[in-house]
Amino acid sequence: MRLPIAAGLATAAVSLTLYPLFHGGVWFWTGLGAIILVAAVSVLAARPGVPLWLAPPAQALVLSVYVTAVFAGEEAWAGLVPTKDSMIALAGLLGEGFTDIQRYAAPVPVNPGIALLTAGGVGLIAMLVDLLAVRLRRAALAGLPLLALFTVPAAVMSDPIGWPAFIIAALGYVGLLTADGRERVGQWGRAVLVRRARPAGPAGASGRSDTLPLSLAGKRIGFAAIALAIGIPALLPTLSPSPLFGFGVGSGTGGGGNTITIPNPIASLRGQLNQPDNATVLTYTNNDNVPRYMRMYSLDTFDGEQWTMSQPRGRPENRVALGPLPSPPGLSASIPVENVATSVRVSEDVEGLSFLPLPYPATSVQVEGDWRADESTLMVFSTRDTAGGQEYNVASQEPQPTFETLRDLPANPSEAVAERYLSIPDSLPRPIRATAATVVQGAESQYLQAVALQDWFTSEGGFTYSLQTQGNGVNALMEFLQNKTGYCEQFAAAMAVMARTLGIPARVAIGYTGGSLIEGSWQIRTHDLHAWPELYFEGAGWLRFEPTPAGGFGQATARVPDYSRAPISTDTPGGGATPSASAAPDTTAASQNPAMRDPRDPDAGLGFDPIVTDTGLPVPARIGIGLAVAALLALLPAAWRAATRRRRRHAWARVPASTGPGGPPGVPGGGAEDARAALDGERLGAAVEATWRELVDTLRDLGLGHDPSETPRALARRLTERHELDAETAAAVARIASAQERLRYARTPGRIGSLTGDMRRVEGTLRETVSRGRRLRATLLPSSTLLSLRAAGEKVLDGFDRLENLRIRRPGRAAPPEPPARRATDDRVLAGSRD
Amino acid sequence: MGITHDVEQELEGLVATAHRIREAIESVIEGKGDAVRLTLTVLLAEGHLLIEDVPGVGKTMLAKALARSIDCPVRRVQFTPDLLPSDITGVSAFNQQSREFEFKPGPVFANIVVGDEINRASPKTQSALLECMEEHQVTVDGRTYHLDGPFMVIATQNPVEMEGTYPLPEAQRDRFTARIAMGYPEPAAELEMLDVHGASSPLDKLQPVATTAEVRALIDAVRAVYVSQAVKRYAVDLVTATRQSPDLRLGASPRATLHLVRAARAHAALAGRDYVIPDDLQDLAVPVLAHRLLPSMEAQGMRRRPEEVMADLLRRVPVPESREKGAGEAGPPR
Repeated sequence: MRLPIAAGLATAAVSLTLYPLFHGGVWFWTGLGAIILVAAVSVLAARPGVPLWLAPPAQALVLSVYVTAVFAGEEAWAGLVPTKDSMIALAGLLGEGFTDIQRYAAPVPVNPGIALLTAGGVGLIAMLVDLLAVRLRRAALAGLPLLALFTVPAAVMSDPIGWPAFIIAALGYVGLLTADGRERVGQWGRAVLVRRARPAGPAGASGRSDTLPLSLAGKRIGFAAIALAIGIPALLPTLSPSPLFGFGVGSGTGGGGNTITIPNPIASLRGQLNQPDNATVLTYTNNDNVPRYMRMYSLDTFDGEQWTMSQPRGRPENRVALGPLPSPPGLSASIPVENVATSVRVSEDVEGLSFLPLPYPATSVQVEGDWRADESTLMVFSTRDTAGGQEYNVASQEPQPTFETLRDLPANPSEAVAERYLSIPDSLPRPIRATAATVVQGAESQYLQAVALQDWFTSEGGFTYSLQTQGNGVNALMEFLQNKTGYCEQFAAAMAVMARTLGIPARVAIGYTGGSLIEGSWQIRTHDLHAWPELYFEGAGWLRFEPTPAGGFGQATARVPDYSRAPISTDTPGGGATPSASAAPDTTAASQNPAMRDPRDPDAGLGFDPIVTDTGLPVPARIGIGLAVAALLALLPAAWRAATRRRRRHAWARVPASTGPGGPPGVPGGGAEDARAALDGERLGAAVEATWRELVDTLRDLGLGHDPSETPRALARRLTERHELDAETAAAVARIASAQERLRYARTPGRIGSLTGDMRRVEGTLRETVSRGRRLRATLLPSSTLLSLRAAGEKVLDGFDRLENLRIRRPGRAAPPEPPARRATDDRVLAGSRD
Repeated sequence: MGITHDVEQELEGLVATAHRIREAIESVIEGKGDAVRLTLTVLLAEGHLLIEDVPGVGKTMLAKALARSIDCPVRRVQFTPDLLPSDITGVSAFNQQSREFEFKPGPVFANIVVGDEINRASPKTQSALLECMEEHQVTVDGRTYHLDGPFMVIATQNPVEMEGTYPLPEAQRDRFTARIAMGYPEPAAELEMLDVHGASSPLDKLQPVATTAEVRALIDAVRAVYVSQAVKRYAVDLVTATRQSPDLRLGASPRATLHLVRAARAHAALAGRDYVIPDDLQDLAVPVLAHRLLPSMEAQGMRRRPEEVMADLLRRVPVPESREKGAGEAGPPR
């Protein structure tokens, strides 16, 4: 009885975790229907006399009838019984469902096909769980089908399953295990005990079954395990967001990780470029019909082996829907910019892309979903949505610096930029530095050095473009510089590394080239995937360079940026968007510029973005903060105890002087109004009670114990005898006990003086009787507070038990062994009193 | 305020009188302070006492000493298998001179009745005591005769395992407020006993130290002892625990609750207190309740005696924590 229901509950709980896959809740109810039917059949099959093998076929039959009735009722006979037509209809629906699942990205709309797939799948899982847990009595194994169900959303969704869903699923499984254990222990438990034990005393007088303590223990272990599974990853600062459970975007640690969803963008580069199928990835149109590179990733870390990306950081306030993106770092207002509006449509076939391809630097993005901008690199990403099928509009402000401006820029990157984008591992081979130095010989400014590097790669160095290059890393870099053969990855990486050796902040961008113009819009295909270096110049910000050879023998659609060409070349034909040619629009843009950037960042005019310094707290600081928080948490019981003690002492302050020490005998009602006397009596009572509780708590803290069956008098006697208290302390204990005793049991409490002093004395003396460690523990981790916490926890657990008993206890079967014996006894009692 | 004062004075008198009686009894029986104290408690609680132990430990001596130290009519009945009910209650005899039936009161018409070896009499005779003990009256030939207070039956009995005994039925055991065992005296006390009892019986020298009227006043004072709602609840909790304990086949009756609280009043008064505290109940629970309990088969199998079960329950039932203001608070304390 208990087990099939527990199995059904477990399946239902785990099926809840499918929630991120669907729109709406219909799928759940259809699935729940299947689970209920399976459980119901299982309950019926558990009756004595029903053969064990019967349940699975019966469940399959009921499940098929259910599915038929719900999804193909019109074709079925009497709306229930499957017929040939209904089977065909179901098969059609199934096919539809499969196609839909292929077509839509999660969350999918729940149409009949998908609902059928879900209900059928959940029903099958429910049958499997039932088979394992109930028929074969292997409840632990039943976790496997449940796990299979649980991994569906984990596998499909790129973002983590919410921890509440995990808790529910885990609770379901723990409940199944508990029910199984209880059934098992219950069988031999009942056989051994002739008569049920009933706890004495009115407190626990309710009937309890033998297995209850065991099941309670099991439940506690289960709850504790779940709480630890949730709590520890959240508390430990060194674990980066675990793959299964996330706590919001980018709240994990920075600095160490690679990327979010694509394990290594650079590794996938060549694979994509090599694909025979050159599919369209996205199409875009913009207001000036000029191709622009669409950047997705910005790799800022070079570890000596390869370029990787630090964890992007997207705070909730950086959602692109909330307004303009952070202003581009390093771009000062003196550089003219061109406002570009681009509308992009990403193909639906693109899967798992959680970074938006955008022209750099984007100022605002209008896109559906929870997309966030990384503050320093302006990458726009999401942990929840994917770019596939998205249509969005981007506004960007393309800097249009002139060659002269750039040439004269001073080389003084801010410290944060330098620290992040200039670091090179010491292991970098010397020849690379030497080569870089040789190449840029004679270049006066950093910018000219960058241009020299680019020219060296594209023409002077004699490099050739080939996709047949293997590997990356330092050796690959060296090989590339020697063999002078490679593709965009090597070109970009090499130029970025060399720029860093020269003191120019550099990073590698990955995205797409501008693509080709087809029927009025720019089309970007798989083969346009590209990597290029971005170099930073204080005042101009990050500028794109193009070391990869372009054209037929290189990256077909690669374009060398205009500003990186010497002024002489601007006169050559084909440079449509040279600064001089577009001088007129630039100036207007420049004049608008400061005003446009001001709202978000008043510092923009200074030419760099202060937020770029936000690389997060260092790990030791995080650990320190975590430890401090943990210490504070650990001190909470002590603080609570201290507050309680204060409050209890304070209770005496409210007792009027007449009943206090030195006053007249505190028999209320002498001549004053009765009401006031009653009030005074109440206060006195509260104060005495508080002192008593304080005494009891102190005993608990010090490990001296207090039994609930111990009377005040007995307690005082015990303390005096066992700890050989001196006469004065003994008298103090006796006074406290006597006051409490009179207050509780006497007609009038009589005269009671303030007990605060007595209490202090007793506490001091008692503390001296125990060991130093015990004293320390009494202060830091007072047992009395922990006990009351535990009592609260037990109340919660008792609540669970009561719920469970309500649900499962069936009067017919569970109760009978007891009443006859009980009744006989009762009769005897009655007879005894009647005589 | 006046009431308080009176109660205090009464209590002082009570404690003094009780002390005199105790001293008188203890001059006869050495080293049995607890038994003596409990005997007095039962007397003041208007109850009856069952003293159970092996022969020769001073059961009868205790009963007689108590009877002797109070200046009141005392009768002693030696129960034997051939004792008839009328031998206890009295008979209606035909008076030849007055030509009518005349009631000859039996030994039960006294303030203190000592029933020696009560379990040697037939059940019929034993049950003759029932009416007297509970209702303080005797009915013979349709006429009811009232017994004067104070009325106390002190019965002694040998353990049921001894030969030639009829065990007291549960119903009759339930009438006794408390059962005590004398136990063997300490070696020192036994040595002293040899000196004292060697020459002559000290019982003969015992002079009454209290009058019937005094005892009656004491009983009235005990009735005035205050029992708070919390303590009443505790008494009910204790009794309920005996009914629910798996070790007991038969728990304590509601009459037991009544006896317990009454005895607790006397106990408190003897301690000079005008209110009952849980300690009183704890001290009395075993003697007052244990003889009414029947151990279950399991407990018997584990050789757990009802006394042990009761002591165990005492450790498990929590003492009432809060001050409860019940309905009975303002009314007369009874």
